[in-house]
Amino acid sequence: MSKKSIKPRSISRRRLLATVGAALAASPLGANLLHAQQAPIKIGMSMPQTGGLAGGGKASLLGIEIWRDDVNAKGGLLGGRKVELVVYDDKSSASETPAIYSKLIDIDKVDLLFAPYATVPTAPIMPMVKQRGLLLIGNFSFQVNSKVGHDMWFNNAPWGPADSWATSYLDIGQKAGGRSMALLSADQEFAQNLAKTAREVATKRNLPIVFDQAYPPNTVEFSSIIRALKATKPDIVYVASYPPDSTGILRAVNEIGIGESVKVFGGGMVGLQFGAVMENMGSLLNGVVNFNTWLPEKSMYFEGTKEFFDKYTKRAVEAKVDPLGYYLAPFGYASGQLTERAISAVESLDQRALAKYLRENTHKTIVGPIAFSADGERKETAVLQAQFRGVVDKNIEQFRSAGKQVILFPDNLKSGELVAPFEAART
Amino acid sequence: MKRDGIAFWTGAVVFLAAVLVMTQVVGNQYPFFAGYVILQSIALAVAWSILGGYAGYVNFGTSAFYGVGVYASVFLVSAFGAPLPVQILTGAAIGAVMGLALGLLTLRMQGIFFSIATIALTIVIETTVTNWRYVGGAAGIQIQRPAVTPPFDSYVQMLFFVQAVLVVLAVAISRYIHNSWIGRGLQALRDDELAAECTGVPTLRLKLLACVISGALMCAVGAPAAMYLQYADPGSAFNLNYSVTTLAMSLIGGTAHWAGPIIGAILLGTTQQVLTVTISSEVNLLVLGLMLVLFVVGAPEGIVGLIYKLRGNQKEGEI
Repeated sequence: MSKKSIKPRSISRRRLLATVGAALAASPLGANLLHAQQAPIKIGMSMPQTGGLAGGGKASLLGIEIWRDDVNAKGGLLGGRKVELVVYDDKSSASETPAIYSKLIDIDKVDLLFAPYATVPTAPIMPMVKQRGLLLIGNFSFQVNSKVGHDMWFNNAPWGPADSWATSYLDIGQKAGGRSMALLSADQEFAQNLAKTAREVATKRNLPIVFDQAYPPNTVEFSSIIRALKATKPDIVYVASYPPDSTGILRAVNEIGIGESVKVFGGGMVGLQFGAVMENMGSLLNGVVNFNTWLPEKSMYFEGTKEFFDKYTKRAVEAKVDPLGYYLAPFGYASGQLTERAISAVESLDQRALAKYLRENTHKTIVGPIAFSADGERKETAVLQAQFRGVVDKNIEQFRSAGKQVILFPDNLKSGELVAPFEAART
Repeated sequence: MKRDGIAFWTGAVVFLAAVLVMTQVVGNQYPFFAGYVILQSIALAVAWSILGGYAGYVNFGTSAFYGVGVYASVFLVSAFGAPLPVQILTGAAIGAVMGLALGLLTLRMQGIFFSIATIALTIVIETTVTNWRYVGGAAGIQIQRPAVTPPFDSYVQMLFFVQAVLVVLAVAISRYIHNSWIGRGLQALRDDELAAECTGVPTLRLKLLACVISGALMCAVGAPAAMYLQYADPGSAFNLNYSVTTLAMSLIGGTAHWAGPIIGAILLGTTQQVLTVTISSEVNLLVLGLMLVLFVVGAPEGIVGLIYKLRGNQKEGEI
């Protein structure tokens, strides 16, 4: 009878790994490591990175990326899931976004969607997200949900009710003694939307519109238009223009003058929010009352605002975007904060639940508290009307300090009083 | 029917059947969105080549015709709630009239002067639409799709199939022109218009015919785009990119044969779609630019020309 030799059981490599893995999973360190292995929360979007909207799109994207890095540095969401952005260039075109968003939804299987910057690329995807019942965080589009009526749309822009923009500007003008209005607008999407509401508000208030002209896009020479406008002797001049036109109009006003009757000038001039344009225009900006979304006035700093701009200023150089970044970037960050707050509160990625939370609560962000009305726009407008003061030529750094753009509206953010008439404020 | 005719129509039927099966089998929507854009590119490139390729009249007005097709649909939907076939047929009719008008006004110009006139046409029409408030003007307009028609489950699948039908129609017309006396006449006037006129080719009539057919097809292709986007604004509908990419597709594919623009459009259209969701930055413009440069240098007659050349060399080698 042979004796079976019994070898002591040696632990195999596989067993050893399994044991160590189980031990790690049970320990707090192991739990963290496993969370790190969890699938990321994917947020998909298109963003204009080429074409006419690229300047704004890139700045907005940088704001969102800073939020992503911040939230991931804090350990992510839903117990350690990192946030990952899936971003495609829509070339500033409406025709690109349907296919891109279909890819994001059907192929990339993203968990949440952000809209591209601006109205035109956003408009075609509204019916798609409504049909599929998806939450969409808007990015500075204007009244894009008014016809579609999607109840899971939330715009990060401070626009508020459609007429509030014109209302606030005309309020300032009328308080300064304005009794008539001239309207000068670019024949393009955003400017025409502004002009339309301005006409409606003026008509409601029985404010005579003594001049109403739309000029074709790419107009560079405005002297004849400004002469015609000046001849009507308006009290309030409401300009809805795009960056190249805004500079052309201001140069023409500087050369020709606008007349002693004008109390306020500006309102809806796009471009005067961008660092490069502001530096280029310099002292020609003085006196102009124009819209903005964020300004470095004391009343505009909320929790995290300063930290955000510290990071943005550093990264803007590398990303080659607007060095100031007041107009769009903090709102990109705020889009992320809205999502973060909703996910943390709901503790899931359920789109209906997230939308319900966003609709029913007021959310703290770096651009102030945000509450939404039923149409997904802000309950109250937070569009600033501010007057340029004491601006000197060729100095972009001056715009980082308070007092260069004095906030006149809204009242809770006000940082000064209007200087009128316009000609007096220009000096 | 000749053998190659049977092969062509068999191919067309197989293609349409494959597209129809795809709409019934594939549940994922992305292939239809991306595929629609590629099919649209093919139809536009084929339509362009009828005047630009066969006759040699370089037309930069593709975006004008395409945009008119888009806005014809927008108007018909806003005013009458017209169904898709009516939109396409009306678009084609408007395109034909527009092509005739463009031809009568500009075809006495030649070369670069004709091309400049077609760019002007785009600007004139875009400005008109920009000031036409009923169709949204500069602010653009959102439009709602009607209910989808069976057997399709989604509207995009239906549009994908409709665009495939338009591609077959455009290719069939282009092939017929290429193989008929019209194509030979257009080729003659492209080589030397004066000589063609002297030998009895009715050059103006042929050019007008090419303008009408090309214009009708481009407008018809633009018509479903309003329903695809559910939004129209002048800046997007009349975007000069349509003119430039259509021209590039035809030139890359080659204009000597009706299949050239199809090859070019598939190559460039697919590359654009792939780049949009891969590189997706300024670099994709660089890649496209490099592609164009490479083809201009390496294959000035396009891919079809390159194939002819290679075949010719082979035959010479055999001898």
